[in-house]
Amino acid sequence: MTDSEAAELRKRLDRIGEIFGDLVSHAEKTSIERCPYRDRFDSCTALFSCRNQQSVVGESVEKPQCGHDGVFDYRDAWEAKPGHAENVKQKIVSIRAEAEERRGTGEIEREQL
Amino acid sequence: MVEISDIFNETIRHEIEEFLEVPEEIERNVRLFSSVSPLLQEIAAALIDGNHESVDALTQQALTEGYEALEVMDGGLISGMGIVGIKFREAFIFVPEVLSCARAMKAGMKHIEPILSASGIEPIGSVVMGTVKGDLHDIGKNLCIMMLGGAGFECIDLGVDTSADDFIDAVEESGARIVGMSALLTTTMPYMGVAIEAFIDAGIRDDVQIMVGGAPVTEEFADAMGADGYGKDALACVELAKDLLGVN
Repeated sequence: MTDSEAAELRKRLDRIGEIFGDLVSHAEKTSIERCPYRDRFDSCTALFSCRNQQSVVGESVEKPQCGHDGVFDYRDAWEAKPGHAENVKQKIVSIRAEAEERRGTGEIEREQL
Repeated sequence: MVEISDIFNETIRHEIEEFLEVPEEIERNVRLFSSVSPLLQEIAAALIDGNHESVDALTQQALTEGYEALEVMDGGLISGMGIVGIKFREAFIFVPEVLSCARAMKAGMKHIEPILSASGIEPIGSVVMGTVKGDLHDIGKNLCIMMLGGAGFECIDLGVDTSADDFIDAVEESGARIVGMSALLTTTMPYMGVAIEAFIDAGIRDDVQIMVGGAPVTEEFADAMGADGYGKDALACVELAKDLLGVN
Protein backbone atom coordinates (compact mmCIF):
# COMPACT_ATOMS: atom_id res chain seq x y z
CA MET A 1 0.00 0.00 0.00
CA THR A 2 1.34 3.42 -0.93
CA ASP A 3 1.70 6.36 1.45
CA SER A 4 -1.01 8.25 -0.40
CA GLU A 5 -3.46 5.36 0.00
CA ALA A 6 -2.67 5.23 3.72
CA ALA A 7 -3.23 8.99 3.92
CA GLU A 8 -6.62 8.55 2.21
CA LEU A 9 -7.59 5.86 4.73
CA ARG A 10 -6.53 8.18 7.54
CA LYS A 11 -8.78 10.90 6.09
CA ARG A 12 -11.75 8.51 6.14
CA LEU A 13 -11.08 7.63 9.78
CA ASP A 14 -10.94 11.32 10.63
CA ARG A 15 -14.26 11.78 8.82
CA ILE A 16 -15.82 8.95 10.86
CA GLY A 17 -14.48 10.61 14.02
CA GLU A 18 -16.08 13.90 12.95
CA ILE A 19 -19.45 12.27 12.25
CA PHE A 20 -19.41 10.52 15.63
CA GLY A 21 -18.38 13.78 17.31
CA ASP A 22 -21.38 15.57 15.78
CA LEU A 23 -23.71 12.74 16.78
CA VAL A 24 -22.46 12.76 20.37
CA SER A 25 -22.66 16.56 20.64
CA HIS A 26 -26.25 16.44 19.42
CA ALA A 27 -27.00 13.56 21.80
CA GLU A 28 -25.66 15.57 24.75
CA LYS A 29 -27.86 18.53 23.76
CA THR A 30 -31.06 16.59 23.18
CA SER A 31 -30.61 14.44 26.27
CA ILE A 32 -31.40 17.46 28.44
CA GLU A 33 -35.03 17.31 27.36
CA ARG A 34 -35.52 13.82 25.99
CA CYS A 35 -34.37 10.74 27.82
CA PRO A 36 -31.62 9.04 25.78
CA TYR A 37 -33.22 5.65 26.45
CA ARG A 38 -36.43 6.70 24.68
CA ASP A 39 -36.49 5.44 21.11
CA ARG A 40 -38.31 6.77 18.07
CA PHE A 41 -41.42 4.80 18.97
CA ASP A 42 -41.38 6.43 22.46
CA SER A 43 -40.57 3.02 23.94
CA CYS A 44 -38.13 2.80 26.85
CA THR A 45 -34.98 0.82 25.98
CA ALA A 46 -33.53 0.97 29.50
CA LEU A 47 -32.53 -2.19 31.31
CA PHE A 48 -33.47 -0.61 34.65
CA SER A 49 -36.63 0.66 36.31
CA CYS A 50 -37.69 4.24 35.88
CA ARG A 51 -40.73 5.99 37.30
CA ASN A 52 -41.57 7.28 33.81
CA GLN A 53 -42.08 3.77 32.40
CA GLN A 54 -45.72 3.12 31.56
CA SER A 55 -47.32 -0.13 30.50
CA VAL A 56 -49.80 0.09 27.67
CA VAL A 57 -53.10 -1.28 28.96
CA GLY A 58 -54.58 -4.04 26.85
CA GLU A 59 -51.59 -4.25 24.52
CA SER A 60 -48.86 -6.84 24.53
CA VAL A 61 -45.61 -4.89 24.07
CA GLU A 62 -42.05 -5.90 24.82
CA LYS A 63 -40.95 -2.50 26.09
CA PRO A 64 -42.85 -0.04 28.27
CA GLN A 65 -43.72 3.37 26.87
CA CYS A 66 -41.92 6.44 28.20
CA GLY A 67 -44.28 8.78 30.00
CA HIS A 68 -41.77 11.59 30.47
CA ASP A 69 -43.15 14.98 29.40
CA GLY A 70 -39.80 16.72 28.92
CA VAL A 71 -40.58 19.37 31.52
CA PHE A 72 -38.46 18.15 34.44
CA ASP A 73 -35.07 16.49 34.66
CA TYR A 74 -35.88 12.82 34.05
CA ARG A 75 -32.63 11.63 35.66
CA ASP A 76 -34.13 11.99 39.13
CA ALA A 77 -36.57 9.25 38.15
CA TRP A 78 -33.66 6.80 37.87
CA GLU A 79 -32.46 7.33 41.42
CA ALA A 80 -33.46 4.71 43.96
CA LYS A 81 -32.67 7.20 46.75
CA PRO A 82 -33.09 10.79 45.54
CA GLY A 83 -31.07 13.27 47.59
CA HIS A 84 -28.51 10.63 48.47
CA ALA A 85 -25.59 12.59 46.94
CA GLU A 86 -24.53 14.26 50.20
CA ASN A 87 -23.68 10.92 51.78
CA VAL A 88 -21.70 9.64 48.83
CA LYS A 89 -18.50 11.61 49.33
CA GLN A 90 -18.25 10.38 52.91
CA LYS A 91 -18.78 6.85 51.68
CA ILE A 92 -16.00 7.21 49.10
CA VAL A 93 -13.61 8.56 51.75
CA SER A 94 -14.40 5.65 54.05
CA ILE A 95 -13.88 3.09 51.23
CA ARG A 96 -10.34 4.41 50.72
CA ALA A 97 -9.62 4.59 54.44
CA GLU A 98 -10.85 1.04 55.07
CA ALA A 99 -8.84 -0.31 52.14
CA GLU A 100 -5.68 1.40 53.40
CA GLU A 101 -6.29 0.06 56.89
CA ARG A 102 -6.71 -3.47 55.56
CA ARG A 103 -3.51 -3.14 53.57
CA GLY A 104 -1.72 -1.89 56.70
CA THR A 105 -2.75 -4.95 58.68
CA GLY A 106 -1.75 -7.34 55.92
CA GLU A 107 -5.34 -8.48 55.52
CA ILE A 108 -5.20 -8.13 51.74
CA GLU A 109 -2.18 -10.41 51.45
CA ARG A 110 -3.90 -13.04 53.63
CA GLU A 111 -7.07 -12.81 51.53
CA GLN A 112 -5.06 -13.33 48.36
CA LEU A 113 -3.36 -16.42 49.83
CA MET B 1 -28.18 15.42 -14.13
CA VAL B 2 -28.73 12.43 -11.89
CA GLU B 3 -32.18 11.54 -10.60
CA ILE B 4 -33.25 9.69 -7.48
CA SER B 5 -34.45 6.90 -9.76
CA ASP B 6 -30.79 6.34 -10.67
CA ILE B 7 -30.28 4.90 -7.17
CA PHE B 8 -30.69 1.15 -7.33
CA ASN B 9 -31.52 0.47 -3.69
CA GLU B 10 -35.16 1.05 -2.76
CA THR B 11 -34.40 1.63 0.94
CA ILE B 12 -31.90 4.37 0.11
CA ARG B 13 -34.37 6.02 -2.26
CA HIS B 14 -37.02 5.91 0.45
CA GLU B 15 -34.64 7.33 3.08
CA ILE B 16 -33.78 10.29 0.86
CA GLU B 17 -37.38 10.97 -0.15
CA GLU B 18 -38.80 10.55 3.33
CA PHE B 19 -36.20 12.12 5.62
CA LEU B 20 -34.01 14.56 3.73
CA GLU B 21 -35.42 18.07 3.42
CA VAL B 22 -32.46 20.36 2.65
CA PRO B 23 -32.10 20.61 -1.18
CA GLU B 24 -28.26 20.59 -1.07
CA GLU B 25 -28.28 17.45 1.09
CA ILE B 26 -30.77 15.72 -1.22
CA GLU B 27 -28.71 16.59 -4.27
CA ARG B 28 -25.43 15.54 -2.65
CA ASN B 29 -26.83 12.19 -1.51
CA VAL B 30 -28.56 11.44 -4.81
CA ARG B 31 -25.28 12.14 -6.60
CA LEU B 32 -23.32 10.04 -4.10
CA PHE B 33 -25.56 6.99 -3.98
CA SER B 34 -26.28 6.93 -7.71
CA SER B 35 -22.53 6.64 -8.29
CA VAL B 36 -21.94 3.60 -6.08
CA SER B 37 -22.63 -0.05 -6.81
CA PRO B 38 -25.79 -1.83 -5.60
CA LEU B 39 -23.74 -3.84 -3.09
CA LEU B 40 -22.32 -0.72 -1.44
CA GLN B 41 -25.79 0.82 -1.43
CA GLU B 42 -26.98 -2.30 0.32
CA ILE B 43 -24.31 -1.84 3.01
CA ALA B 44 -25.41 1.76 3.52
CA ALA B 45 -29.08 0.72 3.72
CA ALA B 46 -28.32 -1.97 6.31
CA LEU B 47 -26.29 0.50 8.35
CA ILE B 48 -29.10 3.08 8.29
CA ASP B 49 -31.41 0.30 9.48
CA GLY B 50 -29.00 -0.49 12.34
CA ASN B 51 -28.66 -4.06 11.11
CA HIS B 52 -25.17 -4.98 12.28
CA GLU B 53 -25.38 -8.58 11.09
CA SER B 54 -26.08 -7.53 7.50
CA VAL B 55 -23.41 -4.83 7.54
CA ASP B 56 -20.95 -7.40 8.86
CA ALA B 57 -21.76 -9.93 6.12
CA LEU B 58 -22.06 -7.43 3.25
CA THR B 59 -18.80 -5.65 4.09
CA GLN B 60 -16.99 -8.95 4.13
CA GLN B 61 -18.62 -9.86 0.83
CA ALA B 62 -17.61 -6.56 -0.78
CA LEU B 63 -13.97 -6.94 0.26
CA THR B 64 -13.95 -10.56 -0.90
CA GLU B 65 -15.35 -9.47 -4.27
CA GLY B 66 -12.42 -7.11 -4.67
CA TYR B 67 -13.82 -3.74 -3.62
CA GLU B 68 -11.16 -1.44 -2.17
CA ALA B 69 -11.44 -0.52 1.52
CA LEU B 70 -11.78 3.14 0.53
CA GLU B 71 -14.73 2.36 -1.75
CA VAL B 72 -16.48 0.39 0.98
CA MET B 73 -15.91 3.16 3.51
CA ASP B 74 -17.01 5.96 1.19
CA GLY B 75 -19.91 4.32 -0.62
CA GLY B 76 -21.21 2.03 2.15
CA LEU B 77 -20.26 2.96 5.69
CA ILE B 78 -19.59 6.71 5.74
CA SER B 79 -22.39 7.55 3.30
CA GLY B 80 -24.85 5.50 5.37
CA MET B 81 -23.72 7.17 8.58
CA GLY B 82 -24.19 10.55 6.91
CA ILE B 83 -27.90 9.79 6.45
CA VAL B 84 -28.09 8.63 10.08
CA GLY B 85 -26.62 11.97 11.18
CA ILE B 86 -29.21 13.93 9.22
CA LYS B 87 -32.10 11.85 10.57
CA PHE B 88 -30.81 12.34 14.12
CA ARG B 89 -30.37 16.08 13.65
CA GLU B 90 -33.93 16.36 12.30
CA ALA B 91 -35.36 14.27 15.17
CA PHE B 92 -36.55 11.38 12.99
CA ILE B 93 -34.45 9.03 15.10
CA PHE B 94 -32.97 9.25 18.60
CA VAL B 95 -30.05 8.01 20.68
CA PRO B 96 -31.05 4.30 20.82
CA GLU B 97 -31.32 4.14 17.02
CA VAL B 98 -28.04 6.04 16.56
CA LEU B 99 -26.27 3.58 18.83
CA SER B 100 -27.64 0.65 16.77
CA CYS B 101 -26.28 2.29 13.62
CA ALA B 102 -22.90 2.90 15.31
CA ARG B 103 -22.83 -0.77 16.25
CA ALA B 104 -23.51 -1.66 12.60
CA MET B 105 -20.71 0.68 11.53
CA LYS B 106 -18.38 -1.07 13.95
CA ALA B 107 -19.37 -4.45 12.48
CA GLY B 108 -18.32 -3.21 9.05
CA MET B 109 -15.13 -1.53 10.26
CA LYS B 110 -14.04 -4.81 11.84
CA HIS B 111 -13.27 -6.03 8.30
CA ILE B 112 -11.46 -2.81 7.37
CA GLU B 113 -9.17 -2.87 10.43
CA PRO B 114 -6.70 -5.48 9.06
CA ILE B 115 -6.31 -3.29 5.97
CA LEU B 116 -5.68 -0.27 8.20
CA SER B 117 -3.07 -2.22 10.16
CA ALA B 118 -1.37 -3.28 6.93
CA SER B 119 -1.12 0.38 5.97
CA GLY B 120 0.51 1.24 9.29
CA ILE B 121 -2.61 2.66 10.94
CA GLU B 122 -2.82 1.03 14.36
CA PRO B 123 -5.23 1.75 17.24
CA ILE B 124 -4.05 4.59 19.51
CA GLY B 125 -4.51 2.27 22.47
CA SER B 126 -6.94 -0.09 24.19
CA VAL B 127 -9.55 1.01 26.69
CA VAL B 128 -11.57 -1.26 29.00
CA MET B 129 -14.99 0.30 29.52
CA GLY B 130 -17.82 -0.69 31.84
CA THR B 131 -20.68 0.59 33.95
CA VAL B 132 -19.96 -0.33 37.55
CA LYS B 133 -21.61 -3.05 39.61
CA GLY B 134 -25.21 -2.37 40.59
CA ASP B 135 -25.74 0.09 37.75
CA LEU B 136 -27.57 -0.80 34.54
CA HIS B 137 -27.24 2.53 32.71
CA ASP B 138 -25.33 2.01 29.50
CA ILE B 139 -25.99 4.89 27.13
CA GLY B 140 -23.32 7.25 28.48
CA LYS B 141 -20.77 4.46 28.34
CA ASN B 142 -21.93 3.47 24.84
CA LEU B 143 -21.58 7.04 23.58
CA CYS B 144 -18.05 7.10 25.02
CA ILE B 145 -17.25 3.82 23.28
CA MET B 146 -18.62 5.18 20.01
CA MET B 147 -16.43 8.29 20.31
CA LEU B 148 -13.35 6.38 21.41
CA GLY B 149 -13.76 3.96 18.50
CA GLY B 150 -14.16 6.86 16.09
CA ALA B 151 -11.01 8.44 17.50
CA GLY B 152 -8.97 5.30 16.86
CA PHE B 153 -9.09 3.51 20.21
CA GLU B 154 -9.81 -0.18 20.55
CA CYS B 155 -12.55 -0.62 23.16
CA ILE B 156 -13.26 -3.65 25.31
CA ASP B 157 -16.86 -3.22 26.39
CA LEU B 158 -17.71 -5.00 29.65
CA GLY B 159 -21.32 -3.83 29.55
CA VAL B 160 -23.24 -2.97 32.69
CA ASP B 161 -23.14 -4.20 36.29
CA THR B 162 -19.37 -4.74 36.04
CA SER B 163 -17.54 -6.00 39.11
CA ALA B 164 -14.03 -4.95 40.14
CA ASP B 165 -12.83 -8.47 39.28
CA ASP B 166 -14.27 -8.16 35.76
CA PHE B 167 -12.39 -4.89 35.23
CA ILE B 168 -9.15 -6.42 36.53
CA ASP B 169 -9.55 -9.61 34.45
CA ALA B 170 -10.20 -7.56 31.30
CA VAL B 171 -7.08 -5.44 31.87
CA GLU B 172 -4.96 -8.52 32.47
CA GLU B 173 -6.32 -10.27 29.36
CA SER B 174 -6.16 -7.30 27.00
CA GLY B 175 -3.16 -5.42 28.28
CA ALA B 176 -5.21 -2.22 28.08
CA ARG B 177 -3.61 0.75 29.76
CA ILE B 178 -6.80 2.70 30.31
CA VAL B 179 -9.92 1.76 32.24
CA GLY B 180 -13.12 3.79 31.97
CA MET B 181 -15.76 3.38 34.65
CA SER B 182 -19.23 4.82 34.38
CA ALA B 183 -21.97 5.27 36.99
CA LEU B 184 -25.24 7.11 36.60
CA LEU B 185 -26.55 6.88 40.14
CA THR B 186 -25.30 8.37 43.38
CA THR B 187 -25.92 4.98 44.99
CA THR B 188 -23.59 3.14 42.60
CA MET B 189 -20.90 5.81 42.21
CA PRO B 190 -18.98 4.73 45.35
CA TYR B 191 -18.36 1.35 43.70
CA MET B 192 -15.89 3.13 41.43
CA GLY B 193 -13.85 3.74 44.58
CA VAL B 194 -14.17 0.05 45.51
CA ALA B 195 -12.93 -0.97 42.05
CA ILE B 196 -9.99 1.44 42.17
CA GLU B 197 -8.97 0.02 45.54
CA ALA B 198 -9.25 -3.49 44.05
CA PHE B 199 -6.73 -2.51 41.37
CA ILE B 200 -4.34 -1.46 44.17
CA ASP B 201 -4.95 -4.73 46.01
CA ALA B 202 -4.31 -6.71 42.81
CA GLY B 203 -0.97 -4.94 42.44
CA ILE B 204 -1.75 -3.50 38.99
CA ARG B 205 -2.91 0.02 39.86
CA ASP B 206 0.28 1.55 38.46
CA ASP B 207 -0.16 -0.32 35.18
CA VAL B 208 -3.39 1.46 34.25
CA GLN B 209 -4.88 4.92 34.09
CA ILE B 210 -8.41 5.00 35.46
CA MET B 211 -10.92 7.51 34.18
CA VAL B 212 -14.41 7.93 35.61
CA GLY B 213 -17.58 9.61 34.44
CA GLY B 214 -21.35 9.68 34.63
CA ALA B 215 -24.06 12.15 35.57
CA PRO B 216 -23.42 12.36 39.36
CA VAL B 217 -19.61 12.20 39.07
CA THR B 218 -17.59 15.39 39.46
CA GLU B 219 -13.89 16.22 39.44
CA GLU B 220 -14.07 16.37 43.22
CA PHE B 221 -15.54 12.87 43.48
CA ALA B 222 -12.98 11.56 40.98
CA ASP B 223 -10.14 12.97 43.09
CA ALA B 224 -11.65 11.58 46.28
CA MET B 225 -11.79 8.10 44.72
CA GLY B 226 -8.20 8.28 43.54
CA ALA B 227 -9.07 8.20 39.83
CA ASP B 228 -6.58 9.54 37.29
CA GLY B 229 -9.12 11.59 35.42
CA TYR B 230 -12.74 12.64 35.08
CA GLY B 231 -14.61 13.10 31.81
CA LYS B 232 -17.81 15.10 31.96
CA ASP B 233 -19.12 13.68 28.68
CA ALA B 234 -18.21 11.45 25.74
CA LEU B 235 -16.27 14.19 23.95
CA ALA B 236 -14.22 14.91 27.06
CA CYS B 237 -13.66 11.19 27.51
CA VAL B 238 -11.71 10.97 24.25
CA GLU B 239 -9.52 13.96 25.09
CA LEU B 240 -8.92 12.56 28.55
CA ALA B 241 -7.96 9.12 27.17
CA LYS B 242 -5.49 10.78 24.79
CA ASP B 243 -4.07 12.89 27.62
CA LEU B 244 -3.67 9.83 29.83
CA LEU B 245 -1.74 8.05 27.08
CA GLY B 246 0.27 11.17 26.32
CA VAL B 247 -0.82 11.29 22.67
CA ASN B 248 -2.52 14.70 22.70
